[in-house]
Amino acid sequence: MPTLRPTLHLDRLGAVIAVLIGVALFAAPFVTYRANRIVAGEGRLLTDALPPAGVTGVLIVVLGVTLCAALARKLLVRLGAAALGLCVIFPAVGWSAGFVTPSGNTFARVSPSVGFWLLALAFALLAADALTRLHFGPWARLAALAAAAGALALLLLSGAWNDLSLMKEYANRADSFWREARQHLWLAFGSMAAACLVGLPLGMVAHRIGRLRAAILQGLNIVQTIPSIALFGILIAPLGYLAAHVPLAAALGIRGIGAAPAFIALFLYSLLPIVANTVAGLSQVPAAVTDAARGMGMSARQRLLQVEWPLALPVVLAGIRIVLVQNLGLATVAALIGGGGFGTFVFQGIGQTAIDLVLLGAIPTVALSFAAAVILDAVIDLTQRGAHDRD
Amino acid sequence: MIEIEHLTKRYGADIVVDDVSFTVEEGEIAVVVGTSGAGKSTLLRMINRLVVPNAGRVLIDGQDTATVPEDELRHRIGYVIQGYGLFPHRDVAHNIATVPRLLGWDRKRIANRVEELLDLFQLDPGEFAQKFPHQLSGGQQQRVGVARALAAKPALLLMDEPFGSLDPVIRGKAQDDLLAIQRRLGTTIVLVTHDMNEAFHLGDRIAVMDQARLLQYATPAALLAHPAEAFVEQLVGTAERPFRLLSLVTVQEAMEQGNAEGEPLPLSASLRDALSQLIWRGREALPVADASGALVGRISIDAILRRGRSLA
Repeated sequence: MPTLRPTLHLDRLGAVIAVLIGVALFAAPFVTYRANRIVAGEGRLLTDALPPAGVTGVLIVVLGVTLCAALARKLLVRLGAAALGLCVIFPAVGWSAGFVTPSGNTFARVSPSVGFWLLALAFALLAADALTRLHFGPWARLAALAAAAGALALLLLSGAWNDLSLMKEYANRADSFWREARQHLWLAFGSMAAACLVGLPLGMVAHRIGRLRAAILQGLNIVQTIPSIALFGILIAPLGYLAAHVPLAAALGIRGIGAAPAFIALFLYSLLPIVANTVAGLSQVPAAVTDAARGMGMSARQRLLQVEWPLALPVVLAGIRIVLVQNLGLATVAALIGGGGFGTFVFQGIGQTAIDLVLLGAIPTVALSFAAAVILDAVIDLTQRGAHDRD
Repeated sequence: MIEIEHLTKRYGADIVVDDVSFTVEEGEIAVVVGTSGAGKSTLLRMINRLVVPNAGRVLIDGQDTATVPEDELRHRIGYVIQGYGLFPHRDVAHNIATVPRLLGWDRKRIANRVEELLDLFQLDPGEFAQKFPHQLSGGQQQRVGVARALAAKPALLLMDEPFGSLDPVIRGKAQDDLLAIQRRLGTTIVLVTHDMNEAFHLGDRIAVMDQARLLQYATPAALLAHPAEAFVEQLVGTAERPFRLLSLVTVQEAMEQGNAEGEPLPLSASLRDALSQLIWRGREALPVADASGALVGRISIDAILRRGRSLA
C-alpha cells in the first residue's frame, strides 16, 4: 500500500521558468538608459533600476512567483501567481523609467530591457501553461482576455508608463497613432469583409461544381505563393493605369500606390483560406444528412440554410480566423507602399534605428492578432456546441 | 395503395432499373431484396422522386407522383436511410420535428407530436428530447430516425437498409418494434434490404431484384414454394427452405391440447424459434402461454415436423 507522505514535487516547466527568472533578475539588465533616443544605451540591473524599497518589493514578489511555479500544483494558484507577477513588473518598469531618468532631462530615453522581457516571458509562459491545462470554456477565455485588456488599459491610462521611451514616442505621435490604428483596422477588417462577400459564394460554387473547384483553389493557391511585396508591385501598374484613365477610380481614391493596392492584396490573400474552408466545411457535411434532408422534402434553400451552412460554420469560421490573424500582421507591410497602418511606425523606426518606435507599431499589431485569435477561437467553440460537446 | 408501373432508370448506357412493376396494398410491407447493385435503392428513390425515372410512373392512391411538386410529395412520404442522416446540430426533438416544421404546424401541435412519438418508440421524452444524436446509441438513433420519418403521419414509409448499421442483437429487436408499430399505425412500407432473413421476417410481400430486373414479387410462402427463377431459388436458399417456411408460421397454428414441462413459449413465436428452443432445451414438447401469461396448450417437435412436411 502506498504511503501518503507529503513530498515536494518539482514542476518541470516551473524549473525552466525559475532559470529564466534567475537570469532575468541577476544577469540581464532590467531597463536600458540612453542619453537620447538614437544613441546606444547602457543596461541597468534591477538592483540599480529602482529605489531600495522597490527592489526589495519586486524581488519578494518575483521570488514568490518562482516558488509557486516550481512547487505549486493547483492550476488556479499558478495562474494567480503569474498574474500577480505581471501586475507587479509592468508598473515597476514604468516606475523604474521615472527613477532612472535624471529629473528635468527630456532627451533621455528609458526602455524595458532583456531582463524585463525575460520576466514577462516567464510569467506569460506560466499563465499560458495554467490556462491551457485549466481547459477554460469559451466564455471564461473571453473574460480572461477582457481582464487582460482592462489591466493593460488601466496601466496605460494611469500614466504609470509615461516615463518610458515607448510612451514618449507615443506622446509625440498620439494623433497619427490613432489615425494609423484606424487605417490598420480598416485594411485588415475591410479586406476580410470583402473577401467574405466574394469568398463565401465562391466557396459554395466550388463545392457544388466539381470541375470549377480545382481551378478556383489552384488559382488562389498561386496568389498565396506571391510574396506580399511582389504582389504590391504587381498591382501598382494596373491600378496606376486605372487611376489615370478612369476618373471614377481616381475619385474613389484608387492609385498605383497607397491604400488601394494594399487593400486589394490583403483581399486576394484572404480569398484562399475563406474559399478553401468553405469548400471543406460544406463537403464534410455527411452525405446521409443531405440525402435525408432532400428525402424529407427540404428545398435547396432550406437545406443550405438549415443544414449545410450550420454544419459547415465552424470550419468556415476557422478560415476567417486564419484570415484575420494573417491580415492584422500583413497590413503592417502596407506602409511600404504608403498604405498606412501600424507599419508606418515600424518602418520609420527601422529607418531611424529607433527601436522604441518600431515597438510602437509592432506591439499593437501583435496584441490585436492575439486578441482576434482568442475571440474567434471562442466563437468557433460556441458554434460547435451541441454538435460536438460530449456529456 | 402504391402502384409502380414500368419504372425504368438509365445512366448513360447502364440500365439500373429495367421496367419494374408491382403494387403494394394499403397497410402492407413490401420488401425489395437483392444483391448489391441490383437497383433496389434506385427503385426506392424513384418512388419519392429523389431519382427521376426515364420511363414509367408511380401512383399513390391513384395519383401520379409526377404531378405533385417534389418537396410536397416528400413531405407526405416518410424516408429512412442506412445511417439515418440525423441532423447532428439539432437535438432529438428538433430532428423529429423537421417535417412538421416544414409544414408549418404550430408549436403546441409539434411538441405534442414529438412527445407522442418518443413514447411510441420507448424513448423517455424527459431524458431524450434534448439529447443530440451523437449522445445516442445506435439503436436509439435508429428509433429517432424512424420517428422523424413518421412525424407528419405519412401514409407511406420508404426505408433503405434501415437496420443495416445495427449489430445483430439489436437488429432483431428493432425489426420486431417496427412490425409492432406498423401494425398499430397501419402505415404502408416499402423496405429495401439485402438480408433474406429480414425480408422473410418483415415482408407481407417480397420483390426479388437482380441486375435491374424484378424477378418475382410474391408472398414469402409463395416465393419458397414456387421460386420463379433459379436465381430466386438460390437467393432463398434451398437448404434453408424448410426453416424459412417454419419461420412464417406461428406456434398458435401448430399448437396441441395438453401440457408440458418447462418455461412456456409465447403464442406469437414462430415454429422456427419453437423448434430451436425444443432442440436446445432437450425437450419433446413445451407449454404455450398467451400474451397474458396463461397456459393455453403445448407445442411438440412432432407437431412442428408434421406441419413442416405439409408446407413442403
